[in-house]
Amino acid sequence: MEGNTIGYLVGGSLKENFQVRLTVPPTEIQEGAFVVIETEERLFYGLITDLHLGATDPRFADEQSEMRLPPLLAQALHGQTLFTTAEVLPALMLERGPDPASPAYQAWQQAHPTPAGPIPVKTVPPHHAPARLATAGDIAEIFGKPDDRHFIIGYTREQGHPVTIDLEKFVQRSAGIFGATGTGKSFLTRILLAGLIKYNQTSLLVLDMHSEYGYDDVASDTKERVTGLKTKFPARVLVVGLGRGTLIHEQPPDFHLELAYSDIHTSDIELLARELNLRETAPTVLQALEKSFGREWLLKFKEMNREEIEEEDENGKVRRVPHPGSVAAWADDTGVNRMAAESLHDKLRRIFNKAYLVERPASDSLGQIIQALTNGQHVILSFGRHDEDLDYLLVSNVLSRRIREEWEKRADEFRSGKSKVEPRPLVIVVEEAHKLLNRELAGQTSFARIAREMRKYYVTLLIIDQRPSQIYDEVMSQLGTRISGWLGDEDDIHAVLAGLAGRDALRGMLARLQPKEEVLLLGWGIPMPIPVRSRRYDAQFWKELLSERKRTTEEKLAELMP
Amino acid sequence: MGSAIEVGRLLRASSREFVAGCRVSQLNAPAFGALVSVPLRADEQLYGLIYDIQIADDGLVRQLVTSENVSDEVIRDNRERRIVPVEMSVLAVGYAQNGQIRYLLPPRPPLSLDAIYLCDPDEVRRFTSGNLGYFRHILRAHDTLPVGELLASHLHQAAGTQADPQAWLQRAVQEIITLLRDDYATLMEVLSALREVIA
Repeated sequence: MEGNTIGYLVGGSLKENFQVRLTVPPTEIQEGAFVVIETEERLFYGLITDLHLGATDPRFADEQSEMRLPPLLAQALHGQTLFTTAEVLPALMLERGPDPASPAYQAWQQAHPTPAGPIPVKTVPPHHAPARLATAGDIAEIFGKPDDRHFIIGYTREQGHPVTIDLEKFVQRSAGIFGATGTGKSFLTRILLAGLIKYNQTSLLVLDMHSEYGYDDVASDTKERVTGLKTKFPARVLVVGLGRGTLIHEQPPDFHLELAYSDIHTSDIELLARELNLRETAPTVLQALEKSFGREWLLKFKEMNREEIEEEDENGKVRRVPHPGSVAAWADDTGVNRMAAESLHDKLRRIFNKAYLVERPASDSLGQIIQALTNGQHVILSFGRHDEDLDYLLVSNVLSRRIREEWEKRADEFRSGKSKVEPRPLVIVVEEAHKLLNRELAGQTSFARIAREMRKYYVTLLIIDQRPSQIYDEVMSQLGTRISGWLGDEDDIHAVLAGLAGRDALRGMLARLQPKEEVLLLGWGIPMPIPVRSRRYDAQFWKELLSERKRTTEEKLAELMP
Repeated sequence: MGSAIEVGRLLRASSREFVAGCRVSQLNAPAFGALVSVPLRADEQLYGLIYDIQIADDGLVRQLVTSENVSDEVIRDNRERRIVPVEMSVLAVGYAQNGQIRYLLPPRPPLSLDAIYLCDPDEVRRFTSGNLGYFRHILRAHDTLPVGELLASHLHQAAGTQADPQAWLQRAVQEIITLLRDDYATLMEVLSALREVIA
């Protein structure tokens, strides 16, 4: 038997976990270890979720017999009466057929011409089936052999075997990276983004609220220099700064994003109700504005004044009336409550003066972003000094709406045969996702819709957050791949595990991850949950990533036909 | 069997145990816990462990005990020519047929006055080199016998005949624990006794 045998099966069921009696000291095994239970026909793959100490009689455990007995007797006694049982959460099994040397093997091979992959566990191994720690080969069998598509995300905790993530599956559905502050989320995100850029099958749009990902940065805790994605992929990554003249870490971006007033819809403002502290009357006023001015409503509203003029009536009496270009005059004309309109006008002043909003942008920077993404480039939108929640919500929403419209159009054209070009898959990376995807806003932003249904239009989200419990449940349940670092809050843990099998066992594992550099991989995109020591984002990482030579066709053929 | 030391002759027997009587002059050879054998036929012999040695009194001893100034001569005379034999109780632990040892109760017990021999080291090694299944005969009697003492004494004697005494002792201890692990009290009693012979 290959690998290290750690014990043998003594009990269990499909509904509950398998129990493995350990034959090695318990300290050699950790929670989360990837275990293989072997039978003649199948391999069962599982995860250790608990270890408990047992005794054939509690008195053997109670009495410190090693104090009374010589070592030989005490060891022999403990060896037989005290034991450790490991709970193994069964995840997958693999048919391996009879012994290749036996005559039955040929018949089996004919009945199974293509090797079946691992499938969910549907039976139990017999009593006393040996259990061992997984080898690098087992892990490659389940998670895939490291290559461009199967990207090494980390290593198993005990033996350091590489664990890969299937990037093709990863981008097929929205995904999430979670973890409390300081658990290395942003490093892990950089690693994943670097892998996705290298894989080159999808475009990325990173909404980089804190300007972390583009240019080199300094780590907030260690104060060490952190390489930016632009530094390593200068041609394929575009850094876009929000607003004219914005510098990102003292460097000019590739271009600036400016929005026209006409890009802002009234619904974008409704979304900001809480940020702007809007009154209940705001939606009515916004509706009237849109009706009066169409797409130009924001600019027109901005240009309105609050003045009054003196007017003499037919009786020669002078009275003060609203200026014809004032908010009040417009309100009176359209039958909107004057106070409500003026209140909204006051509150929108915060928007009117945003430097990135202009009447006529110097270039179609939104279009440029979309063009770059279509061409297979990756865009990191750095918010620079405009890093208030208000900016983040407004710009992200406008941008994602444009993207959604564009990709929907292209996908429909491709499907109907009007266009031969399949839209390039796009992943929108959303930092501080709870700001956009909380219960209150999820229904209104484009993001919830992207998470829910844009998979068929080639757009998915990668959301990064420290408070997954704040994210709308419906969005959380759509996440295919979840990568979570340590979480302390019970609600957050609950949110990350929502909709997954074996939640109870995984919950403890999540709470007991090491606060740094350990993450739990979960969800549809991961063959089975597994905790890993995450890859380090350092010079070595870049060396490995960039030196991995693309295999030639000959090499690939040689691999297929050994 | 010619060179083997005869330690007595059979007084009475059952399938599970038997009692031998011996002279005081024979008493130097057998020891508590020693392995003895009783040849039944040419190709069959029975094995047992001495678990008790009794020296009964008689009327003369009772008289002598109460009298004063008993001379050495009288004591010697009484010991060597006593009319009541020394009784050795032996627990049947197995038998050999055609050279094959089985840790089972013998097909039939020995007969009165069958000679009983002390096993020599080679024979002890042969008998104790199997799977140690004969321990169960000893442990079964734990209500009536000083099992811990008997095992300690037997292990001490038997280990000395093995090529690797330490390894054999380990194996023996494992077997004892396996058989007794559901009986905490007896196991701890036995281990306490074994502590005297196992460092």
